[in-house]
Amino acid sequence: MMSTVPSELPVTAPIEHRFDPYVDNGGTLLSIAGKDFCVVAADTRLSEGYSIHTRYVPKSVKLSDKTVISMGGCYADCLTLTKRIQQNMEASLVAPMWYRHAHGKTMSTAAIAQMLSIMLYQKRFFPFYSWCILGGLDEEGRGAVYTYDPVGSYEREACRCAGSASSLIQPFLDNQINFKNQASERRELSLDQVLRITKDSFTSATERDIYTGDYLEIFVITSNGVELQKMGLKKD
Amino acid sequence: MDALVSKYAHSSASPLDSSEGFSQAGFDAAQQFALPMFDIPMVSNPIDFLRAHTDPSAENRIRIQHGTTTLAFKFQGGIVVAVDSRASGGSYIASQTVKKVIEINPYLLGTMAGGAADCQYWERELGRRCRLYELRNKERISVAAASKILSNMVYDYKGMGLSMGTMITGWDKTGPALYYVDSDGSRLKGERFSVGSGSTFAYGVLDTGYDFDMSVDDAIALGKRSIYHACHRDAYSGGSVNVFHVKESGWEFKGNFDFDKLHWDYQAQPKGQIV
Amino acid sequence: MDHFPTNWGNPRNEDGESYNTYPMASNKVPQGVQQIAGYGHASGHPTTHTQSPVVTGTSVLGLKFKDGVLMAADNLASYGSLARFRDVERLHKVSDFTVIGASGDISDFQYVKHLLDAQMIKEYNADDGHSLATPHVFEYLWRIMYNRRSKMNPLWNTFVLGGVHKGENFLGAIDLKGTPYQSPSIATGFGSHLATPMLRKALDNAGGSENLTREEAEKLLVECMKVCWLRDARSSFKYQIAAITSQGVSISEPHDLRPLTYWEHGRDVRGYGA
Repeated sequence: MMSTVPSELPVTAPIEHRFDPYVDNGGTLLSIAGKDFCVVAADTRLSEGYSIHTRYVPKSVKLSDKTVISMGGCYADCLTLTKRIQQNMEASLVAPMWYRHAHGKTMSTAAIAQMLSIMLYQKRFFPFYSWCILGGLDEEGRGAVYTYDPVGSYEREACRCAGSASSLIQPFLDNQINFKNQASERRELSLDQVLRITKDSFTSATERDIYTGDYLEIFVITSNGVELQKMGLKKD
Repeated sequence: MDALVSKYAHSSASPLDSSEGFSQAGFDAAQQFALPMFDIPMVSNPIDFLRAHTDPSAENRIRIQHGTTTLAFKFQGGIVVAVDSRASGGSYIASQTVKKVIEINPYLLGTMAGGAADCQYWERELGRRCRLYELRNKERISVAAASKILSNMVYDYKGMGLSMGTMITGWDKTGPALYYVDSDGSRLKGERFSVGSGSTFAYGVLDTGYDFDMSVDDAIALGKRSIYHACHRDAYSGGSVNVFHVKESGWEFKGNFDFDKLHWDYQAQPKGQIV
Repeated sequence: MDHFPTNWGNPRNEDGESYNTYPMASNKVPQGVQQIAGYGHASGHPTTHTQSPVVTGTSVLGLKFKDGVLMAADNLASYGSLARFRDVERLHKVSDFTVIGASGDISDFQYVKHLLDAQMIKEYNADDGHSLATPHVFEYLWRIMYNRRSKMNPLWNTFVLGGVHKGENFLGAIDLKGTPYQSPSIATGFGSHLATPMLRKALDNAGGSENLTREEAEKLLVECMKVCWLRDARSSFKYQIAAITSQGVSISEPHDLRPLTYWEHGRDVRGYGA
């Protein structure tokens, strides 16, 4: 497809494009899978440099009764990608029909996970600046967390923290969720324990990361559906 | 007839009738072998654009995850494939639990070194094409053909930033087969390969301990030990070791071994005689 | 293959690669690569776009209050440091319940006004009793802005959109990179440093925008405009205020900030050439 802009411009020397289409809007997201539940949490601050644009912007979106997506990075990219996932869940990638109408069901968490990987790779040469975590229940009803890099490599894990405070929280999760470098044996955590770890992670990260704070949104996914809890974080 | 000809003549996908890289129009057989399509930034040099935003010095750096030490070798009992499990984005360890052996189908394995997404995406695409081959020809694709499909696909994107160093292994009519394929366009048949930043360390151990006539257990132990030493000396390698054995009936997963546990196990063993 | 991990995933430096056979950045695009436009241009030259704004407007302020939304912007369009046009309206009525305010490039704003007006006329012509409400205009504007940034040809503005829809007050902003957000108070440009702290403090003291009367909100906004005028070198004393309530939109005639300030100190100053 050729350019739609006038072709003959009085250009003698090429002018460098210096416009940077990306901006890092900060924010931290986290997801932990349990035996029969999944927790997806994200703060709601939207920053640019030292300015806070707004204290409340949702970073996680419920995609179905079994799946929640959370994203951080360049907010415009994240929001666009979220909308495109929602659109594709209705209208399938490979068929001209709507997925729900073609298959008579909502996409499973695993199917959305694979689709997101392909959507990210689609922009391999002009990446979405977004850290994605997909949380939900798998076909057997177990908690599932899928994590992505900006160009679509993905992996199913037990827990993951991404975004601006990821390097503060992830080591804590390794220790508390995966029992790394602990003497005690690995055991299943209850939803209550996971929620406490989640809240502690965010209150602590808020103390040390300027891009994290204001409010915390926690999505709890169980076989009963998705429940949203909100909690205040420090606003400085 | 003309309609038919024109339909297939344009099958390598005009960007107009597509979304998300797939045709929105009716079924088109030739479309299945067309390359997927990618969005390109609207700048005079898209390659410079990508470099600018993935370079360590970029302001809003897009960190792409990297895979690291992998090896595979042929011996009398088939092929052993061993890999580490660390992914790093810059100096941050993004994951210690990456699956760097990609199960293309029950007879084909691919390994992952370089950009994690590049390997995952293209080896999945390879899996799709191998399945189509099977359906059309009523027999499994050879490892030689499969590796060449992969090599040809990524060669089209040479210079645009793809990064993939992979070994394609499997068992076909000719017996065990091992190919090295990378994003520069190399495709080499061989007996022993190691790829990634820890490959030099792995080669050292592998070449020292290698014997074509070794037993399956010894071969697996050698693969494990080679990756272990690479993890020990290369900062970009670590986590755990995944080992696979390729035999006539297909590949078999031989286990995941935590690096820390291996380290203390090896420490407890008497040192082997090298010289 | 390059075995050094930090180079993985990035395009390599062509200068250091004597064996690279692929003609990078040539007119040939690999099969399967979807080209948006501009790359490998027929004329042989790269397509060039706006890389900086030319005639610009400074801050736009927005504040929610009990019964609606207030917005304020001055009437100046600067050309660099020159106060080029001093009677430009930067608040524009989009519909009966929506107002757009623009900071940044004025010509891009005029283009967006044209787009929005065209869209509203299209809706009107359908004569189906529907009209685009503020959240819908916001979504539309966001897509325009994001689409243009994705073509590396941004509209060099930050827009503020205020309105009332189904009893809810709406105040949102979108910047040149397509970042959309909503907040009870918004200040763009230099105002984000000068006015935001004042607006947020007042909202906190009142306990939220629902406790703020129109008089209080208007007084606060004028105070913010005054502070912006005193310290923002690209601002003007002439400004307008727009109010959007369930009664509709009203955009004021230009007001003057000068009577609110005191300059008589200067009368007694001696020296400094005075």
